[in-house]
Amino acid sequence: MSSKTASLDGLAQFERTTSIWGPITLGLGFLVSLAAALFTAFGTGLGITGQEVWTSFGIVFATFGIIAVVEPISYYPILGRSAMYQAFMIGNIANKLLPSALIAQTDLGEKPGTRRAELIAGAAIIGAALVHIITLIILVGFLGTWLLGLLPAGLIAVARLYILSAVFGAVTVQAVVAMKNVRTTIIAAVISAIVVFGVIRVAPALTNYATAISVVTVIIVAWYARKRTDASAAGAPSSIGH
Amino acid sequence: MHRFAVDPGSTDISPVSFHPVLWICAAAVFAVIVLQSVIYLRAIRKAAGSVNLTDQQVLGSVRRGGIAAIGPSLAVALVAISLLPLFSTPAVLTRIGLVGSAAFDVAAAGLAAQSQGAQLGGPTYTQKVFAIGFAAMTLGGLVWMLTALILTPILAKGDKTLRKVNPAVMTVVPTAAILAAFFTLALTETTKSGVHVLTLLVSAVVMGLCIAAAKFFDKPWLREWGLGIAIFVALAAAFLVTAK
Repeated sequence: MSSKTASLDGLAQFERTTSIWGPITLGLGFLVSLAAALFTAFGTGLGITGQEVWTSFGIVFATFGIIAVVEPISYYPILGRSAMYQAFMIGNIANKLLPSALIAQTDLGEKPGTRRAELIAGAAIIGAALVHIITLIILVGFLGTWLLGLLPAGLIAVARLYILSAVFGAVTVQAVVAMKNVRTTIIAAVISAIVVFGVIRVAPALTNYATAISVVTVIIVAWYARKRTDASAAGAPSSIGH
Repeated sequence: MHRFAVDPGSTDISPVSFHPVLWICAAAVFAVIVLQSVIYLRAIRKAAGSVNLTDQQVLGSVRRGGIAAIGPSLAVALVAISLLPLFSTPAVLTRIGLVGSAAFDVAAAGLAAQSQGAQLGGPTYTQKVFAIGFAAMTLGGLVWMLTALILTPILAKGDKTLRKVNPAVMTVVPTAAILAAFFTLALTETTKSGVHVLTLLVSAVVMGLCIAAAKFFDKPWLREWGLGIAIFVALAAAFLVTAK
């Protein structure tokens, strides 16, 4: 009886600490990022108007907002409450945090979903976060910045000019493979092509909204064209945002 | 000497992108993560006994998680380095390395630049375009943090309306949104120039080869490293064809 009370107390305290400090620390991360964004736009004397920032944010939100709502919902069952506050600050959830948590759980013979597994996942995520921070500071912060100063200007100019193409080519292939959905892939490819090579040519005023138009249209078409029989629930979507 | 030469029309973005305030914000994000880790580790160690975990097992899990993260962290660092010329160190460290991801942040900044009638990295990539791009990717990333902050307590209560959402919605909607976003962004690149088309194709092919090789040779790390490898090979191809 007494040991049971103690066990409840231990976990109850963990619950309490993480339900207070989880949101506080994630909230702090939120405020720091917000400050950085607002300072860069309005505090540097570049004469950027609120209208310009809201327009660009609006376009980004119209494109990715729905994914930002779906991702927390789909990760929750895997991460558990306390780890949600870690994961959405640290990022790289699908490619780094989940594998780390799963490996640590397997080592101790635990499956996701139990309270014991939640504590193991929390510990593994801490280890992953610290390794990640150290690699970033050393390789990107110090080595990367130094390397950047060393490279000839011509090389850097090329890298800057074509980096978007270099990122989007690979990311699109990655998304197609990760989603494993031929039907939606074809729908997305066809509609995107119509938007980019058709709609935008006819109505250049819509250029800013091209991606958002594609996203909304593909969601609607893919919804009505989905396989109704396929009830198999997929796992969490591969993360693009975080 | 021109550290603080702020000029909205200048294509030397470094006075803004390396601004001391951005360095401070980057350091602050790292500090918040360390603070969170310390608080969580203390809470976990205190609660461990009640679920039959020894202190050794907890610290072993920290170590195990850290070791498992080495590969992915190096892969992320490679991608981050490739983006340094575009966004500079403070933005890359926080956005690409930590809170966000290369795919989302580059997309957000590209969309923001477009709203200014500009292109990232080109002659129209001015301090002003960088600032708006950075603001847009950061504010966009905040939506994820906000939804996590709002939805986590609701999900923890086992909210029925959220659980009752048709599971098809949860699979069809994000799949469609992600594929549509990146197909459109990729195809938009093809309208810029022949070199953009080549860069895009090389990147896509290299990524495809990495994924295929990962599967064929059973080397999952190739998949992790695919994005970084594809970016560097594609940029090398762009450099070779534009070199005079």
